Amino acid sequence: MKSKLVSLSILGIFLTGFSNDDPASEDFFENRIRPVLVKHCYDCHSVESGKSKGGLRLDTRESTRSGGDTGAAVIPKNAEESLLLTAILHSDPDLEMPPKEPKLPENVIRDFEAWIEAGAFDPREAMASGAETDAAALQARLEFWSYQKPQKTEPPKTDSDWPVSTIDRFILARLAENDLTPSEDADERTFVRRLYFDLVGLPPTPEQVAGFSYANLEETVDQLLDSEGFGVRWGRHWLDVVRYAESNGREANIVYPHAWRYRDYVIDSINADVPYDQFLTEQIAGDLLPYDDEAQRARLLIATGFLAIGPKGLANQDKPQFAADLVDEQLDATSRAFLATSIACARCHDHKADPIAMTDYYALIGIFRSTKTYYGTWVDSENNNGGELIKLPDLPGQMKPGQSLSKERITKMKAQLAELNAQERKNKEMSASMMGGKKMKREDFNTALREALRIYWTRGGLRGKLAAVDDNGEPLPLCMGVQEAPKMKDSPLYYRGDLKNPGKEVARGVPALFGMVASPPSDQNQSGRLDFAHWVTDPENPLTARVMANRVWGHLFGEGLVRTMDNFGHTGEPPSHPELLDYLAINFRDNGWSLKSLVKEMVLSRAYRQSSTYRKKSFFKDPDNRLLWRANKRRLDAEVIRDSILSVSGRLDLSPRPASLAAEVTNHSVAILGFDKSIPTDLDGSNHRSIFLPVFRENLPDVLHLFDFAEPSLVVGDRDETNVPLQALYLMNSEFIAQQSAAFAERLMREENTREDRIRRAFQLCFNRPPDPEESKMISAYFADSTEVDEVTMATRFCQALLSSAEFRIAD
Amino acid sequence: MNNLNSTSSSRRDFLQSSTLGLGWLAFSAIANGASSAGRNFPARAKRVIFLSMKGGPSHVDLFDYKPELIKADGKTTGLAEKFGGAPLVGPVHPFSQQGKSGLWMTDLMPHLAKHADDLCIVNSMQTDLPNHSPAFVQMHTGSFQFVRPSLGAWTVYGLGTENENLPGFITLNPPADNGGARNYGSAFLPSICQGTRVGGSQIPALYAAFLKKDQTPGPPMKNIENKNLSRQAQRAQLDLIRGLNRHKLKNDVYQPQIEGMIESFELAFRMQSEVPDALDLTAEFQSTLDLYGIGKGADAFARQCLLARRMAEAGVRFIEISSPVGWDHHSLIQENLAKNCQQTDQPIAALITDLKLRGMLDDTLVVWAGEFGRTPYMQGVNGRDHNHKGFSLWMAGGGVKGGMNYGSTDEIGYKAVENPMHIHDWHATILHLLGIDHKRLTYNYGGRNFRLTETSGEVATGILA
Repeated sequence: MKSKLVSLSILGIFLTGFSNDDPASEDFFENRIRPVLVKHCYDCHSVESGKSKGGLRLDTRESTRSGGDTGAAVIPKNAEESLLLTAILHSDPDLEMPPKEPKLPENVIRDFEAWIEAGAFDPREAMASGAETDAAALQARLEFWSYQKPQKTEPPKTDSDWPVSTIDRFILARLAENDLTPSEDADERTFVRRLYFDLVGLPPTPEQVAGFSYANLEETVDQLLDSEGFGVRWGRHWLDVVRYAESNGREANIVYPHAWRYRDYVIDSINADVPYDQFLTEQIAGDLLPYDDEAQRARLLIATGFLAIGPKGLANQDKPQFAADLVDEQLDATSRAFLATSIACARCHDHKADPIAMTDYYALIGIFRSTKTYYGTWVDSENNNGGELIKLPDLPGQMKPGQSLSKERITKMKAQLAELNAQERKNKEMSASMMGGKKMKREDFNTALREALRIYWTRGGLRGKLAAVDDNGEPLPLCMGVQEAPKMKDSPLYYRGDLKNPGKEVARGVPALFGMVASPPSDQNQSGRLDFAHWVTDPENPLTARVMANRVWGHLFGEGLVRTMDNFGHTGEPPSHPELLDYLAINFRDNGWSLKSLVKEMVLSRAYRQSSTYRKKSFFKDPDNRLLWRANKRRLDAEVIRDSILSVSGRLDLSPRPASLAAEVTNHSVAILGFDKSIPTDLDGSNHRSIFLPVFRENLPDVLHLFDFAEPSLVVGDRDETNVPLQALYLMNSEFIAQQSAAFAERLMREENTREDRIRRAFQLCFNRPPDPEESKMISAYFADSTEVDEVTMATRFCQALLSSAEFRIAD
Repeated sequence: MNNLNSTSSSRRDFLQSSTLGLGWLAFSAIANGASSAGRNFPARAKRVIFLSMKGGPSHVDLFDYKPELIKADGKTTGLAEKFGGAPLVGPVHPFSQQGKSGLWMTDLMPHLAKHADDLCIVNSMQTDLPNHSPAFVQMHTGSFQFVRPSLGAWTVYGLGTENENLPGFITLNPPADNGGARNYGSAFLPSICQGTRVGGSQIPALYAAFLKKDQTPGPPMKNIENKNLSRQAQRAQLDLIRGLNRHKLKNDVYQPQIEGMIESFELAFRMQSEVPDALDLTAEFQSTLDLYGIGKGADAFARQCLLARRMAEAGVRFIEISSPVGWDHHSLIQENLAKNCQQTDQPIAALITDLKLRGMLDDTLVVWAGEFGRTPYMQGVNGRDHNHKGFSLWMAGGGVKGGMNYGSTDEIGYKAVENPMHIHDWHATILHLLGIDHKRLTYNYGGRNFRLTETSGEVATGILA
């Protein structure tokens, strides 16, 4: 109680500090009335708290006057009849407020009385009203910018000849408003380097730079968009967003040997410029889409791998909980990746910040509960939740990595299985007889349990391995993904997300979120996944196009128009250029959802072409460059750093790596990969592009891990960027850099005859420019100082220096 | 340290052109390897060891003793009414009074209990949001909304480093989620202030289980030595890299990324000689290893606690250790809380003992904190929900009074009512203990002065020894 007295006395001091005594004034209300209401009443009587005890809310003028169940709380100029005063006076034992607390200080009560008598001046405008407070709160949050449909705005007019596109007119207008000007165009060398990194994730060759000028910009852009490298670069962006990985992560980290098919699907779809609405539909419900031939069917099944590759708590002993967590993760990933919204927050309670109710969540969960997920993995000592895989149609030339089994081995494994089944029966019978209606002795029970577990785990591995091959022991074409469940199941609403606490069933279907219309599945015999996909990609959905346009913008300009790429909700940031974002979203949606067109429009803009040069005055006005008065300098992504190193060393293998290391390992668990001596300790050892490196959760290849690769268990639209000595140590001392420096030096020795030419060539390859005189001087001095080693060794050290330099890792 | 001095010329020009506030002084302190220019008054703590307890540890079960809550256990009426009918739950394990001070603590931390008279338990913490990610980021940076430098980065910025061969801020096995690198980032501060993340690589699970070891052992440090180059040859190579980088920096005028890269290389070079020693636990006495519980089963966290002491000794300014277990107990709180305490209690207590034995506790501030606490009412059937309105943390050493509770929550531990301490107040207090006035530790970025505590923050003078 001491604490309350202290806070009240503080309040008293606070109140006496103000001098305005006119109880009809705004000051009086703000200083003497509102603080008391906020402090003592809002907890139980406000939209913010989500509570309206006794039907009363005291956070708006209107609700204060209309009152609650027992009558008007405040009747202006009638203190006697105002129940609020009755309550704080404690004059009615059934109505004492604040509850279970001492009466408010006498001077506070007198203030209230005076205030009411003076007309109860109250500037608080009504927020959304309504009997149901929670509904009112959710409604109010609906008015948030990102839930409104994108609006077409006429691009601002200008006399300037700077703009070459609509984008530029929006950018220029905001710059002008803030007394800023755009930067001049970057020089062509700098620009083409930026363009190559952005579109294909590799530096241009010296020849490509020589062939480029702004005059053939569009042609160059088209070539890059048409190249395989575009799918590699932008496919990786997508894989960040869909938390792509080749193991399940968490406690029992089991390999997903078939996840790579989804990776290839993504690369191919981006290269084919599959319309984005279709791309999303395939990933949510490809299995439910019509197809012309088996190849198309296979592709559509693989697409649903998106829903299967998430992290899972495979060790969970509680199967209903595992199932609930699995569908929760699917819904969470879908809503964050496609809508930048966290619907899954409504699993346990109505969303704390966004207009999403628990019923919305459970309506969607019903859709996923009516879906079966095929994620593979088998039961063993670590995994209590083995799954199945989808068999793909047989296709000519299909890749089928994995272990073949000889006929004899298959026969033997089948015999083992039969033996295990027999042992299981025996074990059960024995236990039953030993029990004989009584409780088993502890040691007998333990023996039986151990035996049961041995059978269960051994059989899991046998079944899993047999399921992966055909009758001849050849690997089957398998993929991860989803299909309709045998039985359609609506989900109950679980109070506080607790499976032991089910409430009423919620009919499955798409909810009335974000101004969209709620509807049950169009066919009650279906899960409703296809309807959900249509709901996500509906042109009326205010989020889908905006979220993707923003992601694309972020990859090209360094930061999204909405900087919180994966959060378009109330706790995210608003857009810097709302009209531009809407323009991009509408264009994207109305022009066939073409990613390539969207990228093309952005890179052809003048805004993208700007130089990144520092300008002091502009910097001081807008240090974060939110208004884009220059291009952002960007540290290259982890995979681009590695690919660029391989590219200049001459060792890069541009052919796609068939399948994945994950498909070749014989071990089930990521944890014991280290015991396989054929796997390089850094999980690398190949020279294909980095997108083909294995992505084991909790166990990434060093170069990716150190240079801020996307955490593969999370939806990541915007990677971290760190700058720490561990990166420097990698560049200074790692095996990979040593090997590539040697290869680079060897290449130079082969291609050029003199040291001078080799240095010039090295600069062209690494930075697309010759060394300037000052640099040449430094380098000559470096070579001159170390005469005791041979030319190749010196060249190797020199090459390592270039690969480690800042310029190598930064796109200007 | 002259290398830092000269490579950072662009920043110096830049800073000189803005304001010559404390920020500039502090920066030159880093650059010159001095360590007191950022101080405004005598410091009680020279360094911080931050034990980060991700997930929201249940204060009402650990450090906030509430007799009324015990009485109300299981009730859905009375005090429980405002929680929509969820029953109140008394502490799921008993509390006892500890030490001469009679501090109330959970019985789950018998080792820490022996240090009760060193602990300042703050019972009136508050943060802005009840969601993990924003609250975790706010605990680390003061802001859940904007990208801001972390507490550790501000500390290094203000005080510089005591050992130029090690990073001033090291974070061991930080979580990748909940804001990831933002929690040890430097944002617009010089990137040398950024936390260096150590650890995260794994021992195979089965192997670990077989040997009864942790999957994430003490920090591995790959690439710490060069097998091909002599130190001298490597220095010559790094001089070339530095030359090229400085040249580019000069052309770019203002480029913090490049400054950061230059500084990283210099630090990395020096780390090669110092880190292997700092990470090598073989020189420790068996009695010390036993004190922490190293060598008994899963001991990664114990190793980290010992490493924290070694790093503190070696002059690292800010050391953060992440809890090996999450504290987000929405269900099964009774069992899981006991497990968590069992895994962390001995190493943490050992760290305090060890610091004390070496006379270092006086100038080392040890902080134990999670991003928020938990509700006094039940969630589901056996858990507690997030609670940001009132929660507890403790601090020890480094100039705080021991054996005391500061502030309090209401009678059931729901909301801070007496001396509420917002995250900003807590940050202000930590900086104060380090001898820094939180209002004067500013950094001018783009023409505006930024500080850790934004526009608020009050030092809790009541806890100063």
